[in-house]
Amino acid sequence: MLSDSLLAKSIDKILEKTEKEILINLENSFSTAKQTLDDSIPKLEQEFEKIISDGKKEAEKIEKQIIGSSDLEVRNKQLLALEMAIGEVFTKALDQIANTKHNEDYSNLIKTLLDESTKILGTTKVIVYTNSKDKDLVQSLLSKYTGAELSSQSINCLGGVIVKSKDGAMKFDNTIDARIQRLKPLIRKQISSKFGVGN
Amino acid sequence: MTAEGGVQYSKIAEIKGPLVVVDDVENAAFDELVEIETKEGERRLGKVLEVGNGKAIVQVFEGTTGLSISGTSAKFVGKLMEMPVSKEVLGRVFDGLGRPKDGLPDPIADKFIDINGEPMNPEQREYPKDFIQTGVSVIDGMITLVRGQKLPIFSGSGMSHNILAAQIARQANVVGTKDDFAVVFAAIGVQYSEAEYFRRSLEESGALKRSVLFLNTADDPAIERIITPRVALTVAEYLAFDLGMHVLVILTDMTNYAEALREISAAREEVPGRKGYPGYLYTDLSTIYERAGKLNGRKGSVTQVPILSMPSDDITHPIPDLTGYITEGQVVLGRDLFRQGVYPPINILMSLSRLMKDGIGAGSTREDHSEVSNQVYDAYSRAQEVRALAGIVGKAGLTDIDLKYMDVGDVFEKEFLTQATDENRTIEETLNLLWKIVSKLPKNEITKIKDKYIDQYYREN
Amino acid sequence: MAAKGRIVWVSGPAVKADGMSDAKMYETVVVGNSKLVGEVIRLTGDVAFIQVYESTSGLKPGEPVIGTGNPLSVLLGPGIIGQIYDGIQRPLKELSKASGSFIGRGITTTPVDMIKKYHFVPTVSNGDVVAAGNVIGTVQETDLIVHSILVPPDHTGGKISNMVSEGDYNLETVLATTEKDGQKIPLKMYHRWPVRKPRPYKNRYDPTVPLLTGQRVIDTFFPIAKGGTGSIPGAFGTGKTVTLHQIAKWADSQVVVYIGCGERGNEMTEVLVEFPHLKDPRSGKPLMDRTVLVANTSNMPVAAREASIYTGVTIAEYYRDMGYDVVLVADSTSRWAESLREMSGRLEEMPAEEGYPSYLASRLAEFYERAGRVRAIGSPDRDGSVTLVGAVSPSGGDFTEPVTTHTMRFIKTFWALDAKLAYSRHYPSINWMNSYSGYLGDIAKWWGENINPDWLSLRSEAYGVLQREDTLKEIVRLLGPEALPDEEKLILEVARMLKIGLLQQNSFDDVDTYCSPQKQYKLLKLLVEFYRRGQHALKEGASLADIRAMSIVSTLLKARMDIKDNEISKLDQLDIDMKEQFKSIIGVKITN
Repeated sequence: MLSDSLLAKSIDKILEKTEKEILINLENSFSTAKQTLDDSIPKLEQEFEKIISDGKKEAEKIEKQIIGSSDLEVRNKQLLALEMAIGEVFTKALDQIANTKHNEDYSNLIKTLLDESTKILGTTKVIVYTNSKDKDLVQSLLSKYTGAELSSQSINCLGGVIVKSKDGAMKFDNTIDARIQRLKPLIRKQISSKFGVGN
Repeated sequence: MTAEGGVQYSKIAEIKGPLVVVDDVENAAFDELVEIETKEGERRLGKVLEVGNGKAIVQVFEGTTGLSISGTSAKFVGKLMEMPVSKEVLGRVFDGLGRPKDGLPDPIADKFIDINGEPMNPEQREYPKDFIQTGVSVIDGMITLVRGQKLPIFSGSGMSHNILAAQIARQANVVGTKDDFAVVFAAIGVQYSEAEYFRRSLEESGALKRSVLFLNTADDPAIERIITPRVALTVAEYLAFDLGMHVLVILTDMTNYAEALREISAAREEVPGRKGYPGYLYTDLSTIYERAGKLNGRKGSVTQVPILSMPSDDITHPIPDLTGYITEGQVVLGRDLFRQGVYPPINILMSLSRLMKDGIGAGSTREDHSEVSNQVYDAYSRAQEVRALAGIVGKAGLTDIDLKYMDVGDVFEKEFLTQATDENRTIEETLNLLWKIVSKLPKNEITKIKDKYIDQYYREN
Repeated sequence: MAAKGRIVWVSGPAVKADGMSDAKMYETVVVGNSKLVGEVIRLTGDVAFIQVYESTSGLKPGEPVIGTGNPLSVLLGPGIIGQIYDGIQRPLKELSKASGSFIGRGITTTPVDMIKKYHFVPTVSNGDVVAAGNVIGTVQETDLIVHSILVPPDHTGGKISNMVSEGDYNLETVLATTEKDGQKIPLKMYHRWPVRKPRPYKNRYDPTVPLLTGQRVIDTFFPIAKGGTGSIPGAFGTGKTVTLHQIAKWADSQVVVYIGCGERGNEMTEVLVEFPHLKDPRSGKPLMDRTVLVANTSNMPVAAREASIYTGVTIAEYYRDMGYDVVLVADSTSRWAESLREMSGRLEEMPAEEGYPSYLASRLAEFYERAGRVRAIGSPDRDGSVTLVGAVSPSGGDFTEPVTTHTMRFIKTFWALDAKLAYSRHYPSINWMNSYSGYLGDIAKWWGENINPDWLSLRSEAYGVLQREDTLKEIVRLLGPEALPDEEKLILEVARMLKIGLLQQNSFDDVDTYCSPQKQYKLLKLLVEFYRRGQHALKEGASLADIRAMSIVSTLLKARMDIKDNEISKLDQLDIDMKEQFKSIIGVKITN
């Protein structure tokens, strides 16, 4: 019996101990659970904030992109419009030049062009090309340039001359078209400043 | 780029590689712009490399494919190559020679500027010292970039240099200022997708309207690459020194530039220097890189971040080597880090910013910046040694101190170096991370930091 | 008669002109309509080959070339100190007045202000007979420099007449006239001297006095002597420029000529910004008052880069002739060699190694031969020196390339920079195993007499530790540090301390940037004492861990930064503290 009661006592003790342990365990796990919960709240909040801020960032990014792109688009349209206007001015100006009456000034101009061309090529032994309209004028001026010949071929241009050395190795384009082309960047700048755009 | 009037010569003596030799030339100047016209009326641009005794050697930017001895003519335009500039170049896309590539008209020029530029007078330079916060910790903390600096990225094929450069371009700003800034981007023989990645990145950050793009992609003529960085820098100098903007110039990839130079040198049969590159590669590169800087009495600045890929990742290859001798430091990407998936994969021990010392400290970043970054360099370098040792003797053979350094290496790479591509860290955050690394070490290992900063910032953990 | 020719060919900096039969070799010529400066470097028939010192963009055949009759020369007189010149002695400040922030072309200026007045004090009188090199008077050029006015070295000498009295005169004033054999020659405050011709001297001395740079690894381990030659090669990023700047700042010479030869623009700007604010540690005056800069940066014309070295060394010799110790720093001789290579290529000369001309070695030798400690010609007796320090930028960091290998033949001090040290931020990254100094024996006497007789033996002992460490490191690499006995671990520990506490030096730290010889000696002595006491302590039974744990270790490592030059007696206290701490660890062992 004694042994039995001892046994019972022992069992009780064990039970008691187990119970306590269970209790402690329960308590522990409860507090852990609570802790986890407590911990996870700020984490969740953080997560939440991150989602919000990421969204915000994304929105800002898109906003920036849209604003940036549309600003640029407006500007580019402006550039195109300006270029069209410049183009119109140019066409009109060229028309005017093409229809200019050939007076003495024009004859002087052609002379200057011939002077310049032969000087740059370093010889007057050249073949000169011009359009059909200016042929007679050019021919009349050529006598002053020894060795210069007018080509029978005429070229298509607003006016002026193309001068070639006789061996064909050198050529200088001094047509009005070529000169306008050379000055085009400056003319464009002037026109655009008249429009009050650009700079 | 528009060509002008001048004498057209049609006696072509020789065509070899990118060169055309014209005979019987009476009137041509060294370096003069040349317009080549093919039989079919196609026009190409070039410049005079050598002139004399009735002969001119012309380098054709768009290559000589399709040119013939008869029927080709060369017009000597009577001026040097110029780039038309105005404020309206912002937001524009040009080709490698500076001609519009976006369907818009030629810029209406405020000025025409010789693309070769002139050397800045060293006496007129302003010493660069304005800290640029890139938001990339490893750069801000350890390889600080300042306004007017030239700091290249040495990369290798396939690594993330473009992502890094784009991140710098998006995030770079000078804390506490509202100055005008602009990005000039020059693609030199890179793949179209790389150029497009950059363009999109600028667009997404809304920076495209403050950017100018020059694109010579891999399928564009190789010799054009000689010109691309020069037109880009001409525009950058104009924006900086005429309009007072702070300009960040990104040139990618300078290796392609140097290869184009080598091609011309070979065609001229010049005596080569190392690896077939011409002996004047250093001088030539310097005429590009030295176009970064600030000037006394002028508001703007040109900051350069050239990117170059090191052939076989070899830093002693002539291109990175000579670049490193000219630039003010270098950011070196490491293959090992890249393989481990680290971004940005910067090998900090091989990287350096020469102008860092004057850009940091009290008044710009923080007084402890220099010392704490020195200590981290030192510690990370020790960490690498310890790692190598651990590879041989195993972790068990390491001392306690060694293990602490292993720890430093890990924290450095995982928390400080590693960063998201859209993560923009403040300099405070960056410095605090540096102290977190230093605080892994016992105090008596800290030999490079003054006690007062240790007392203030060291946090045992 | 001056030559008058026409350009026939242009390629980069190289121009050929015909009609030049009157031109002389190395004569300066004016090239083209924009009046660029050039120099004749070869004559073939009536064709002159010219290197042009300015950009030749836009130059055309047919444009004129006119000879000046004179070789490329520098103007030598007061006003040079504090200037920044380009490679052909044009003051950059004056260039900026003419062309703004960028360097224009065809600008002519005088190297110094010719109308600035200086207070002249004559030292000879009418009737005195003077010879070439004699001092005829002095002016105060800067706070630091008393400028002796010399009878030019190529002058015939003669009897002085018309001597002005003490007073303020400008450079063009005729100060006196010499008369000899009926020939009268006026003397002014300046004369010109051709840059490629070394200035004469009476005799040369052995270099026995160290040039103190305040840099420990240089002064203590690899010293250079006044009048000596040194070279500092290193891959990029190894800190060449910082080290050269340190030498230019702190060297105990009276004049510094700094040549930025094909290097970065911002580095010259840095010197310009920094030097006026830095004080010479000996005189307390701004460093700019003793410095001349010659800046031909990498993007400036390559031919002027070739000339810059000669311009600089001629100026250095001029101040030497006044009796000053001059240091000339050339950064970088590799870029100079490259400019030789480029011109040689354009001349289509037969190349030697890596495309460099075959005369590279002889040119280098000629340059370094212009160093030396000398007795100047003329009276009174003056001893001065030119110390030459040249940076070398070996391609790929490879010391076997031609410029490095040839340079090594002509210099006596070699400071080898090491990329590995630089990567671990050990600065100055001078590798102690690969560097050497041929002056150690010559200058040991000076240290012995002026600092302490045991200097050389301490230095040898410390260097021995570093050498032992180098071999031990191999074993550590294979087996780990624990494989070594404590005695050898102590060597590793002391080597570490030598590296951190002595060899490393932070040039950006206010205290550490300059270290006086006295402080260098005491730091060296402390560390050697530490080693001796450590060995003793181990014998007495202490463990290495005990030694490492002593607080004196980190104090010693920081002493270079913590203890200023004017409080070096504190270092003596450290010695006492160290002794105590060693005693206590031995004591502990014994009581156990």
